[in-house]
Amino acid sequence: MHALTLPHSSHYDEMLLSSGAVRPHYQGFAEWLQAQTPETLSRKREEANQRFHRVGITFSVYGDESGAERLIPFDTIPRILPASEWRALEAGMRQRVKALNAFLHDIYHDHEIIKAGIIPAEQVFTNAQYQPAMQGVDLPDQIYAHITGVDIIRHADGHYYVLEDNLRVPSGVSYMLENRKMMMRLFPELFARHAVGMVDQYPALLLSTLRQASRVENPTVVVLTPGHYNSAYFEHAFLAQQMGVELVEGRDLFVRDDRVYMRTTAGHKPVDVIYRRIDDAFLDPLAFRPDSMLGVPGLLSAYRQGNVILANAIGTGVADDKSIYPYVPDMIRFYLGEEPLLNNVPTWQCRKTEDLQYVLEHLDELVVKEVHGAGGYGMLIGPVASAEEKQLFRDKLATDPAGYIAQPTLCLSSCPTFVEAGIAPRHLDLRPFVLSSGKDITMVPGGLTRVALKAGSLVVNSSQGGGTKDTWVLED
Amino acid sequence: MKLTICHSTRYQYAEPASRSTQYLRLTPRSNRHQQILAWQLTLPAPASQSVDAFGNITHLMTLDAPHDSIELVAEGVVETRPNGWDDDASRLNPLVFLRPTPLTAVVPVISTLAHEVAGQAGTVQERLTVLSQEVLARMPYTPGVTDAATTAASALTLGAGVCQDHTQVFIAACRSLGYPARYVSGYLLSGAVDHAASHAWAEVYADGGWLAFDISNQCTPDDHHLKLAVGLDYLDACPVRGMRRGGAGETMHAHAAVEQHDN
Amino acid sequence: MMLSRTADHLFWMGRYMERAENLARLLEVSHAISLMPQSRNGRAEISAPLVLTGRVDDFLCHHPNIDPAKVLHYMAYDLANPASILSALRSARENAHAVRGKISSDMWMSLNASWLEGRKLAEQGEDFQLFFDWVKERAHLFRGATYSTMRRSDAFYFIRLGTFLERADNTARLVDVKSQLLPDSPLAGTNDYYAWSTLLRTLGAFEAYHETYRDTLSGKRVIDLLLLREDMPRSLRACFDEIRLALAQIQSDNGRAAQRLATELKAKLEFTTLDEVFSEGLHPFLNRMLGEINRLGESIHRAYLEAA
Repeated sequence: MHALTLPHSSHYDEMLLSSGAVRPHYQGFAEWLQAQTPETLSRKREEANQRFHRVGITFSVYGDESGAERLIPFDTIPRILPASEWRALEAGMRQRVKALNAFLHDIYHDHEIIKAGIIPAEQVFTNAQYQPAMQGVDLPDQIYAHITGVDIIRHADGHYYVLEDNLRVPSGVSYMLENRKMMMRLFPELFARHAVGMVDQYPALLLSTLRQASRVENPTVVVLTPGHYNSAYFEHAFLAQQMGVELVEGRDLFVRDDRVYMRTTAGHKPVDVIYRRIDDAFLDPLAFRPDSMLGVPGLLSAYRQGNVILANAIGTGVADDKSIYPYVPDMIRFYLGEEPLLNNVPTWQCRKTEDLQYVLEHLDELVVKEVHGAGGYGMLIGPVASAEEKQLFRDKLATDPAGYIAQPTLCLSSCPTFVEAGIAPRHLDLRPFVLSSGKDITMVPGGLTRVALKAGSLVVNSSQGGGTKDTWVLED
Repeated sequence: MKLTICHSTRYQYAEPASRSTQYLRLTPRSNRHQQILAWQLTLPAPASQSVDAFGNITHLMTLDAPHDSIELVAEGVVETRPNGWDDDASRLNPLVFLRPTPLTAVVPVISTLAHEVAGQAGTVQERLTVLSQEVLARMPYTPGVTDAATTAASALTLGAGVCQDHTQVFIAACRSLGYPARYVSGYLLSGAVDHAASHAWAEVYADGGWLAFDISNQCTPDDHHLKLAVGLDYLDACPVRGMRRGGAGETMHAHAAVEQHDN
Repeated sequence: MMLSRTADHLFWMGRYMERAENLARLLEVSHAISLMPQSRNGRAEISAPLVLTGRVDDFLCHHPNIDPAKVLHYMAYDLANPASILSALRSARENAHAVRGKISSDMWMSLNASWLEGRKLAEQGEDFQLFFDWVKERAHLFRGATYSTMRRSDAFYFIRLGTFLERADNTARLVDVKSQLLPDSPLAGTNDYYAWSTLLRTLGAFEAYHETYRDTLSGKRVIDLLLLREDMPRSLRACFDEIRLALAQIQSDNGRAAQRLATELKAKLEFTTLDEVFSEGLHPFLNRMLGEINRLGESIHRAYLEAA
């Protein structure tokens, strides 16, 4: 009864086989879907749209001069994971994040992994994301990345791969929460038919993670935002409200005697933990970029003295840099003495002559990425690139090989998605959010599923026309 | 040599500033090159002392009542030796000093200059001395044409500058040759009147140690030099880096006097 | 306790929404007059909104003369005019956006929709009277949402502060400007029924007047109602009382000066008789009140809102 386009056999579809058969964990949903009229579903989609607009779950797009706010399109067909798959992913992420935190502690202290010859010193110390100011700074429980967003995809071989780790200021968790709320509002009957793992405890988990990050008893936690013109402002406000903590801007804070205070209607109040949604470079205009007014003058000094906790720590970006990414499996072996549970995508480091050679010879099949790029900007997707685009990247690789890595073109898995012509497979990824404290590593089941809405597109970033779906982890 | 230093900095605002925060790197530390015999800071508000990423002694000072001027005085007595530059207070890997910064970005004019001298024969010390000569030749000492925000690239293109510009061009060039290099701010005992007593020079890491170059004076820093702070560029090492709210119409007057101490 | 900046946004959110309503009420009268070609004092009535908001010069920079339709458009729909209704709706919404997490979703949705719909109405050149009715409704909706969904925390009281400070200022200004337009002093026996009734209507007090005095319109009583009656929600005295009550609820030791001033003002009006007002002179009295309102605003600002 719905116009349903079947997935092509060249990639993995989360719900359907190319024959049209439904995977077992989607059976219940598929039956429900067939029982709905297209009119009902289209009305529900419209309702979702209106509600997101009214609530103001919008984002602004880089470079959009009008400052217009747009909705990230929300698709009402959920991405469903069976419990067994989630358990495997969860164990893998736990291991990975543990190793990444150990790596960060190491490179800001004794540099063991470098001394052991596993990672070349210049890869770390000349990396723009390595922050000299963190050398020798002791953090409670040696936690650097309190919040990690791990980007995971499923390749045509049916296996999951980690595409990248986001250790700076990973965003998107508010969409995970709002998408669930919306689905429960639109289709309560679906949640009666399925045992879907809960996600709404995330803000409480986040708050407890942030509080545990401090050595102070009963610490004051704040969320630091660049302000309401930032593209992710909605999320900053949302999380602050959900946690019941103040949402502050740099100008609300000041440093005196190496302590951070906020200005309130009842005077100056000490701050112990800052969940900052501002990049390193903007945190302290007297220590980093002098032209920025977003941060707090003197913050670095207070932080180095251990009088305030920043989540995430300064200088975590060096561990999620694309040039360091290829070493994560080695980190897991080195720090934990374990074999990695999650796959890394095979990566050619163009700074190595033999890798560069290979990349230039196989440009048609590879994805070439800027080492320091983000958001799907500055990359070449070999199989679909034009001759000019490829030539442009050949030139770039010739002048700055160390600035690039290359990976095989992974075929992201797909999931049926509402499109103009009915329901068709669209490619997607998954970003679970991992919370680390001295006590525990926790995460809620699922994460943010981003979906590329253009047919055949592999770019899921919201800034480039991606949408989102609710993510269900079915309980056994 | 025993030196006495008196360094005063005065900021004056046409309209009062409602608050200011400043990082001060106005306290030298003792090392193999220099022994601090006495040192005192006179500040308008209490400041907290700490050691920054580069091993510099820093003070953080916040003024949160409206003020129309700030006066900072650093003074003391220091015993210096001609050498001992390799004494490194930071625990940083020297490779960190290969990193470019916005002020020391390597642009073609700088790397071209660097590679012209790189091909010459001689020791590292000799080749870098040639580089230092070349930098000064291309940008003769000219006060007043550059300021604290002038990048190495634009100073070199301008063909003029002061010790800060010489030093930043030199360290950018060294880095482009693969030598970790850092900015040093400090004081200089100088008979000449046209060079300020507040001074800047460079240190370059080669063959397992730090070599010092005073580009503006074409000499190897010795017991006339007193080291205050080091960093990747001027902004990391400068004696005062501050920010204020309000306080339009700032005028700054700094005066540093370095004299040989008569016992 | 809350961030000074948050309190500032809430305060101004309340002020701007109140301002939008006051403007709509004022322009409604201008609009009515503009439809009556024979009206006395028509020109002065039409320029009143420009005078009250201090926009005469700016208006004349862009328009050759004081044309009623142009004035209405400029004061209602023109986003280039910071004193227009639409600008006020935008500012209210921007302030709300900055403290999205501190207000109820109902409040946010109402303010957000007011701005989005208001912009649409302006674009399509909606009939002025319909627009003014709509603005008043939106203001009622916002206050209703605030009153019935917002926790009685400091945030609530900062919104009230903004609302009533703006309202006090508006009432004082309006009575001042309008009474100067009247042909006769309010003390004279010959009352201009039409002028006094429009003033009452502008402040939504027409019905209240008749209920209170059960008599024909007299300028003296109108002034009494709008300045000194404590049961009139837009009277100066009622505004001061609300400000005093809000200040008393805010948890902070910083606000003593503001509290003292608000209490003094309320007490002054409570024990001021109408005769005393007229013996001082209505205009000097209102001028003095505007000065006090300004001082009160500054005092509130210093105590809570300044990020110092």
